[in-house]
Amino acid sequence: MAGWVIKGARTGIRSSAYPAGPETAIGVSPGMPGDTAVDSPSDAEGLASLCPTGAMTAHDVSVVVDRGRCVHCFRCAQDARMPAVAWDPGFEWATYTDAYQALHAAFSRSLHIRFVDAGACGACMSEARQVNNPYYNMHRLGFFITPTPRNADILLVAGPVSDAMRDPLRKTYAAMPPPKRVVAIGACAISGGVFGPSYASAAGVKDIIPVDVIVPGCPPPPLAILHGLLLVAGRKPPAPRSSLAARADGRPE
Amino acid sequence: MSMSAELLLVFFLLCAAGVAASVVAPARSGPTALAVIGAAAAIALLATGAVLMGVEPGFRLELWSMLFGGTMALAADRLSAVLMLGAGLVFLPVSIFSATYLRKYAGHCDLRYFGVCYFVMFAAIVLVFIAGDALSFLAAWEVMSISSYLLVTYDLDREGSAYGGFVMLALGEAGTIAVTIAFILMVIASGSLQFGDWRAVSPHLTEGVAWAVFILSFAGFAVKAGLVPVNSWLPLAHPVAPTNVSALLSAVIVNLGIYGIIRVNLDLVPVHGAVPGLIVLVVGSVSALIGILYATIQSDMKRLLAHSTIENMGIVAAGIGATMIFLASNQPVIAAIALIAALYHLINHAVYKALLFVGTGAVEAGAGSRDLDLLGGLVRAMPWTSAFVLVGVLAISALPPLNGFVSEWLTLQTLLRSAVLSSTAIKIIFALCGVLIALTAGLAVTCFAKVYAMGFLGVSRSAGAADAAEVGWGVRSPLAFLAVFCVLLGILPTYVIPVIDRVAYPLTHASALPALVPPFFLPQAQQAENLPPAFLAEFHDLGAQTGEGMLPGRGLVVLHRGQASNPVVFAMSTSYMVVALAVLLGLVFLVFRLLTLGRRTVRGRAWDGGLRRLWPSLTYTATGFSNPVRVIFHAVLRPTTIEDSTEAVATHFRTAIRLDHADVPIIDRLVLRPPMSGLRWLAELVRRMHVGYVNAYAGYVLLTMLVVLVIGLAILR
Amino acid sequence: MPDLPDGADNLARAVALREVCKTRWGGRFVPAPATTSGHERLRCHSSEVCDLCAWLVQDVGYIFATLVAEERMEDGVTLTYVFQQDSSGSWLDVDVLLDPHERSVPSISPLVHAADWHEREVEDLFGLHFEGHPRLGEFVLHEDWPEGVNPMRRDFDPARALEHRDEQAAWAAPTIVTAPGAFAMPVGPVFSDFAESAQFLLETVGEDVIHTIPRFFYKYRGIEKIAEGQSTGRVLLIAERFSGTAAFAHGLGFCQAVEAILHCEVPRRARALRTLFAELERLRHHAAAITAICGSTALAVANSQAALIEEELLRLSGTVTGHRYLFGLVVPGGLARDLADEHRPLLQAAIGDAAGKLNALYDMLCVSSSFLDRLEEVGVVTAEKAMEYGLVGPVARASGSNRDMRARFPYAGYDTAKPMIPTEHEGDGYARLRVLFREAEQSAALIHAVLEALPDGAIATEPDRTRAGAALGTVEAPLGAAFHWVRLGESGLVERYRVTPPSFTNWHGFHLAAENFAFQDFPIILASFGLSNAECDR
Ligand code: SF4
Ligand code: SF4
Repeated sequence: MAGWVIKGARTGIRSSAYPAGPETAIGVSPGMPGDTAVDSPSDAEGLASLCPTGAMTAHDVSVVVDRGRCVHCFRCAQDARMPAVAWDPGFEWATYTDAYQALHAAFSRSLHIRFVDAGACGACMSEARQVNNPYYNMHRLGFFITPTPRNADILLVAGPVSDAMRDPLRKTYAAMPPPKRVVAIGACAISGGVFGPSYASAAGVKDIIPVDVIVPGCPPPPLAILHGLLLVAGRKPPAPRSSLAARADGRPE
Repeated sequence: MSMSAELLLVFFLLCAAGVAASVVAPARSGPTALAVIGAAAAIALLATGAVLMGVEPGFRLELWSMLFGGTMALAADRLSAVLMLGAGLVFLPVSIFSATYLRKYAGHCDLRYFGVCYFVMFAAIVLVFIAGDALSFLAAWEVMSISSYLLVTYDLDREGSAYGGFVMLALGEAGTIAVTIAFILMVIASGSLQFGDWRAVSPHLTEGVAWAVFILSFAGFAVKAGLVPVNSWLPLAHPVAPTNVSALLSAVIVNLGIYGIIRVNLDLVPVHGAVPGLIVLVVGSVSALIGILYATIQSDMKRLLAHSTIENMGIVAAGIGATMIFLASNQPVIAAIALIAALYHLINHAVYKALLFVGTGAVEAGAGSRDLDLLGGLVRAMPWTSAFVLVGVLAISALPPLNGFVSEWLTLQTLLRSAVLSSTAIKIIFALCGVLIALTAGLAVTCFAKVYAMGFLGVSRSAGAADAAEVGWGVRSPLAFLAVFCVLLGILPTYVIPVIDRVAYPLTHASALPALVPPFFLPQAQQAENLPPAFLAEFHDLGAQTGEGMLPGRGLVVLHRGQASNPVVFAMSTSYMVVALAVLLGLVFLVFRLLTLGRRTVRGRAWDGGLRRLWPSLTYTATGFSNPVRVIFHAVLRPTTIEDSTEAVATHFRTAIRLDHADVPIIDRLVLRPPMSGLRWLAELVRRMHVGYVNAYAGYVLLTMLVVLVIGLAILR
Repeated sequence: MPDLPDGADNLARAVALREVCKTRWGGRFVPAPATTSGHERLRCHSSEVCDLCAWLVQDVGYIFATLVAEERMEDGVTLTYVFQQDSSGSWLDVDVLLDPHERSVPSISPLVHAADWHEREVEDLFGLHFEGHPRLGEFVLHEDWPEGVNPMRRDFDPARALEHRDEQAAWAAPTIVTAPGAFAMPVGPVFSDFAESAQFLLETVGEDVIHTIPRFFYKYRGIEKIAEGQSTGRVLLIAERFSGTAAFAHGLGFCQAVEAILHCEVPRRARALRTLFAELERLRHHAAAITAICGSTALAVANSQAALIEEELLRLSGTVTGHRYLFGLVVPGGLARDLADEHRPLLQAAIGDAAGKLNALYDMLCVSSSFLDRLEEVGVVTAEKAMEYGLVGPVARASGSNRDMRARFPYAGYDTAKPMIPTEHEGDGYARLRVLFREAEQSAALIHAVLEALPDGAIATEPDRTRAGAALGTVEAPLGAAFHWVRLGESGLVERYRVTPPSFTNWHGFHLAAENFAFQDFPIILASFGLSNAECDR
């Protein structure tokens, strides 16, 4: 047993610098296509048509990405005949939904999380699990996983909500004491991803229970999930909207 | 006639009236008559006991003289009185309970028969307490044995009734024979049937006779008391007996066994040396552990309570054993403490066990079952019963501030006082027995946590439990009565101990009062009992005098006083504890209320992991709850799997798995089974001789004649 | 019965099978080239399917692989029982064509137990009845699913919203144990910290669990139905994403089926890189499985050590392929992205590092007696049962089987980079852990071998998309053999997509390991199986 103690001590601290500082390691995020300015409306149309999930829409000479629909297929980045899409290498993608209400500041440094797999593919689950590993170590930020929703403040949901998981998801949400917040992680949980809506899955968690924060990605990397949690806790701002997106939908940045 | 004797006469007259009323009363009003007269008789008995305890130390009535051995006599002293009090405390509520309970037999069983047996047994029990000579004792004992047997087997429709009754009767009679032989030895030694004469000769008995008397009488009385290894009848008789009879069986009849042990082995023929005491101590401790072990794994509430009776009687016997040893080692004060502890526990057990049996009766009536696996959630449908049973459960689990705690605390602490003994061997045995009793206490909590959690909390596991109905006041009032006594005996030990001390004094020739309940409230008495000022000062600092001037009595702290170097060995006060607990709970409630002021309470369903529906079959059963105990004590319990059938389609798809197991109690396995199978074997041998051929029988005759011839010749030689 | 000759070429095998069939069945079944490319085919009537399948499995040495049900426009439901023969590396389809009105087929699973769950699935999804199958409870479709609606039927519209039944009150636990005081501990579907949604009823009388009743398909997303009528590009997204922790393997399985239909030759470099990425995925997957096992035994340091390795491999994957789970990498015809030359030394170093760390971890675990106590003799699956249930992957290889698609039916670059197949024999949790470690070691070795001899050239060819047909793509996913059966229509759209993932096969045998154990071992048994519900439920 002593061997394990020594091994652990010798490994040292591996935790990410995020959120206090920037994360410098490579391979922590696949990145995501960003809103892109192109030369002509036809280029915009062409680029947008590459996307199999309809995450890109052409607006005049720009292409705006709905991050919640992007499934990281890279098809918009790999077609040599099309203009290059602006690739955002970061991970701070989480944003509020319209239903969001701020949590009381008293909660910001100790939040208990109940995870529900509502038909996720395993990658989202794996990334959620990584948040607990020594590299990301969410305990240092005051986030804890709890096995029962009775103690939970945050419901972390992945997956499009398969048919058989609607009831358990509702029950879990109902079993949580207020105040409670729901974080939907992954394209599936936000928009149904490549699965929903269909006869067997909903078009994301919002179809079943109110969602407060969405974390785009397929799967969202651990740091993106951390960003989402910090967003709920009121300790990080949401992903900024680009000027292109603002211009496209006519709402200010 | 003295007042107590007159009161007792009233009691016997009431019993006679009870017999008469049972015969003549119409079946409809039979139970009511039984309840009224029974309760009146119990009150008369309680009054007798109270008078004997208080103003008159005893009485003696010569009935008529016999051909041999003097007169037949009735004699009561304070030992009789304390048992009368115990019996009265139980008979009063149980009689009232019977009025409701017996109605279920109306129509298919003869209630007159029940009534006659009931009152005959009641009278016989009291006669045992006041028998002044061997003959009346044995006569009363026999009547009590047989009438209780008849009551146990009253409902012959119950499965196992005949067998349970038979084992009870057979073991009981074997015990009676042992006691009778012991008595005959004493009659030969003293030339008298009078108990009084036995006292005189007992110091002069030869070693052999003293031992024989001890072994035979202890073994005989141990049967009634339900001590190992002769306890098998208890768990068999209780489940088949009507519930009111079960209550009497566990709360009164077993006490007779203890009474016999105290009367014979401490009073009439006090044991010599420490070894008999050690035997009683070890038997008691082992009984306690085995009793609670089997109690824990039961799911039938009655069977569970029956095993728990074995446990409690074990604790009492351990106290008596300790008394004997301390007496033999010249420690009369500690001996008195041990005896007080034993008697206290006897009374406590009678009260809470009666409460739990009546509670079981209530559950059976309300929910239609007493199998804990089929109960659950009764607290919602039967709030009163649940509350009273909770008191009984806490008491029997020996949790402060209830009565079980006080007497078990006293017993345990007394066992720990073995430091004053000189022999190392005895100290070690004391320590081991202390461990057994402590383990017992721990298991008792598990066992009765199970009873309450599985029976009264959680979800209902059967339709009966789900639609349970609360019982009426006819059952609730006896429960309330007994619950009140559980509380009173628990929180007022300093008032109870002086009373019991009067019982112990003549037997140990020392008063434990100054050592157990020093008079903190009485300055004059403090001087009279010679309490060192330093000791008083120390206790005053702790607040032991709180209530001085307001309360009667000697104080509210029970303690063990030691030597000057270590003035207080152990101390506790359930009285103050109750105040402290009330304050703390009140504070918690208050704080909780303040914190949640203005908040809305939302009641959700139990979290079930998102299951479609939480079925009762998906929650813990009583058997499941106690299974860890079963697993840990596998070596003792040795359950045998008697059926293991798995059904499968095409050897793959399993469609059913059936398992069952049987526990043969360890005592039956080790003590009763071997002689029984020996006897069977012999019988089988004899049976084989009966081959049915004339020639064979002729051969036997010839053989016998030959043997006789040889013997005759040998003798002639 | 004579076994079919080893290593014979296709033609010789076909002739041999024909001979054997003739002697045994008097020419009743005539092998013919199957509609599935590369397979032999026997057509039979539904009344004879039991005899034929039992004969194939018990006498000729075939192994049941999968059951494909298909309802084509023109005729009724076709059932294709796919068998594989490891010794010869050949495939055989038994086709049963049902009349349009025929609703009932004899069940082969009393004889070929591996087919049990396949039949139950077809029963639920196609509304067929398998006679002689005891049908122990609801399967894919749960109680509240509307009566008589069979989603895989042609006439079912996948976009239609369902009207669910309210079965809340009527549902009862399907327990089978009767014993005094017996009850069932429900676990799930929402349980533990990060557990996939599934439910287990642990039947017990307290302390020891007698029998476990698993309940799956909480995550049924109907991918086979929603794939119908979609382009291969769209279905590829689904194939990668129904089980994201084995995305590359399943994407590859699908692409190989499509490539077989389109007769598309994959360039050598792409084949080598496919091997490399598949092994990278396996290595990462096994590191994650080891993390889970360490976590289930509450060995905190080992758990975090393994988690570090797992995360390092995820970062490595992210760096060299752009995606931490290798999404979007494989396409019909090759790969979408190449391995950059500057990443080769990085890959080499990182893989060596991970293998070294795993080795060190293994050495420490092997001497941690408290850890071994909890794994040894826990969750045992015997070799016979593993065969009977047709288990695959590391679970089977820990019970003495050496089934591995990479060795038996080489694909991608496995014909040159041959893996060594580690096997263990105890069939307990510890054996499964050892298999994981040794396979991870093998994967690292294979990656090195591929990097050593990485051919130059293109990484993809554009397939000729005019062909139609059906093919079975087989891969050894991290958890075992996966079968992707694809039919492409004339229009190039997917007409039927049937996936048999290894988790589906292995969950079937899970109850074998979950009998007569102590409560506290349940998470360990679960972790040592390491199966995925996303993969099983689809
Ligand atoms: S990566 Fe794929 S899903 Fe995302 S925007 Fe580009 S094309 Fe659309
Ligand atoms: S969002 Fe992507 S990674 Fe997450 S569950 Fe859906 S398919 Fe899987």
